[in-house]
Amino acid sequence: MGISRRDFVRNTAAGALIASTGLPSRVFAAGQKTVKIGMNIPMTGDYAPWGLPGLYGCQVVVDDINAAGGVNIGDQNYAIEIVSYDHGYDIEKAVQGYKQMVSESDVKMVMMLGGSTVGAVMPWADRKKILTTTLLASDITPDTEYLIATSESHPLYNVTGVEWLAQHHPEVKTAAIVTNNDAEYGLQSAATYQAAFEVAGIEVVDINLHGFDVTDFAPIVSSVLAKNPDVFCMATSFYCTPLMEQLYHQGYKGKIISCTLDYYDEIIAKTSKEFVNGTIFQFPDFDDPKLNEKGINFPNPGDFDAKFRKDHPNDWSAVAWEYPANLLNWIEGAKAAGSVEPTEVLKALRSNKNPEFVFGEGRWWGKEFWGRDSVVVGRWPVVVVQDGKARIQEYRSVSGWLDKHAAVLAKYMKSHGLRITG
Amino acid sequence: MNKKNILTVQNVVWAAILLAALLATPHFLKFYHQDLLIYLTINVLVVCSYRLVTLTGEWSLIHAVMMGVGAYTASLLFIHFGLDMWFTLPFAGGAAALIAALLCFPLLRMTQFYFLIGSFAAGEAIRLTWIEFVGVFGGTGGLRGVEAPILWGIDFIDPIPYYYLSLFIVSVCLFILYRIENSRVGLTLHAIHWKAPLAESVGVNAWRYRALAFIVGSFFVGLAGGLKVHYLGSVSPNQMGIGFMVFILIWVIVGGYNKFYGPIIGVIVLTVFDESIRTFEVLRPAIYGAVLILSVLFLPLGLESIPGRLRSWFGVGSTPHEPPLTDQ
Repeated sequence: MGISRRDFVRNTAAGALIASTGLPSRVFAAGQKTVKIGMNIPMTGDYAPWGLPGLYGCQVVVDDINAAGGVNIGDQNYAIEIVSYDHGYDIEKAVQGYKQMVSESDVKMVMMLGGSTVGAVMPWADRKKILTTTLLASDITPDTEYLIATSESHPLYNVTGVEWLAQHHPEVKTAAIVTNNDAEYGLQSAATYQAAFEVAGIEVVDINLHGFDVTDFAPIVSSVLAKNPDVFCMATSFYCTPLMEQLYHQGYKGKIISCTLDYYDEIIAKTSKEFVNGTIFQFPDFDDPKLNEKGINFPNPGDFDAKFRKDHPNDWSAVAWEYPANLLNWIEGAKAAGSVEPTEVLKALRSNKNPEFVFGEGRWWGKEFWGRDSVVVGRWPVVVVQDGKARIQEYRSVSGWLDKHAAVLAKYMKSHGLRITG
Repeated sequence: MNKKNILTVQNVVWAAILLAALLATPHFLKFYHQDLLIYLTINVLVVCSYRLVTLTGEWSLIHAVMMGVGAYTASLLFIHFGLDMWFTLPFAGGAAALIAALLCFPLLRMTQFYFLIGSFAAGEAIRLTWIEFVGVFGGTGGLRGVEAPILWGIDFIDPIPYYYLSLFIVSVCLFILYRIENSRVGLTLHAIHWKAPLAESVGVNAWRYRALAFIVGSFFVGLAGGLKVHYLGSVSPNQMGIGFMVFILIWVIVGGYNKFYGPIIGVIVLTVFDESIRTFEVLRPAIYGAVLILSVLFLPLGLESIPGRLRSWFGVGSTPHEPPLTDQ
């Protein structure tokens, strides 16, 4: 049985209180140095599902690393400590929290969700040369020298789901896109899906961009279904659950594709397993057998998944593994640099032309869109719900798609007024 | 009219102590709280400029959006024309004043509750413009990359220099606002508040004075918006929404609005209180609600009335009275 976003927020409030104290999760060995990594994320409020699970995931990874004796960087052995701050997706607090982490806790890297909160901290972060990670590739600008996106390249990877859909369901000819009208998540994702559908030869018959004040999704779904789309696309929607409920109640029989499908077990509980089966999205559970294949750069994903769900059975979301993946990338960079200092680590990370991306080898990308090659793109999984469980179907190359079709994506980004600076 | 001489020895000594305390405070604070001090300083200007609008008896819900107008103006000028803060600040205030001047025509045809609702609607219209015109205003993500200036080797991105700069600008603005309130114009605003028909019967153009208060108040809060965005680095529509407006109202109501310093006390006390309950993030709205209800029930004249109440309890002076809410 799953929980809703609001239940998640309520249930994890206590967790946020504990987490916001930034207490180290274990006592470190005597003589061992400690390197602090910051997590300046939303742990309360509407964005909490894209923050707090990441903190829980990092605690699992850090506990494992520290229990194994820490990491050797240069000639020194380090334990890792996570310092967290709940900014609740408020940019003022995000800036305050960021500065507090850097100036009072001496963190060597700060992991963030992305969007306006990252935009707010970066002028200061760049002047102070503090390495920062985001999950939104579109946060990159020509000025953000110290900002990198090494695990998630939102929303670029969405193209792989559409590509897979078109190949495996050639009967699909039309699609409708529904999402929230925010520039950071919704519009970026809508533009990417439009580009992917065009490349795949699928006509977009409707785009419904709604505000955050919608409480009744019935009229939205009705008006979209009136266009008779073969595919219903939820582009990074904050409202997957109510949209899926409406699709179910209004008897939709076509294909469904989405960026995320967080808490899909809750959707199944509210609709039916048969209805949700076949839904395509982009974020795997980490007990997926395909994550044990060669080339996956995440240690013991099944073990990670089990530990996470043991401590936080209802809290897994798309970001649960992404912040840990950023942390693991930083460790590799620090090892290569032989230093924990941000400038050295960034230099080492950038000098690797084919960095180890979580789902295989990646490459730095982004200059032609956002003015800097600061996003690692590689292959990305296409996930489909089968018998009530998310399962990776195959990996497809985001990098390859961008090589061929970046101009199409740029066209749609510009049509939504989104920033293309490259 | 009897003019009080404020330049007494006692006042000068108190002012010197206050100034010394304001200058020394950041040096005793950690980085995080230095930041908070800057926002607090700017918010003092926000509440004092709001008080000017309320002097005529009209409470608006557009003040936070006017701050946003200033912040967006400063951001656009910095991003597109590379103008430094020294040049963007006057434009920030000017743009907010201009918008306020245009809004006077529809809004000031209404009074009291209707003005309140009308100002909210106008503010939402402006805020939705920022959200819908993504190419110009950046949509929900807003504008980013606005920087603090560097002058004579001083990097104002650091909190202490920016605090001193904010303190200076806010002090000058407060002095002007104080002078306005204590001038003939200020007395006329008070007269319109308490006895508008009487004031109009002796030839006072109430509409014009209400417009003046609205425009001047908007100018100063626009300037505050510019001051804030150059430190914060970015602005988004959510920052300047009804949520922040409610905070402004609570600061003013809890502090008290019958005296110039009432809202200042409100914003200082509640900012410190707010920070002390930061760990209880999810409970903050409820706690704020409780504070507001308790304040209205037990301190209807706000924190500013506490000294008077204490004096009356000790038998020195009379209990402060609440002025009537309307002139009817």
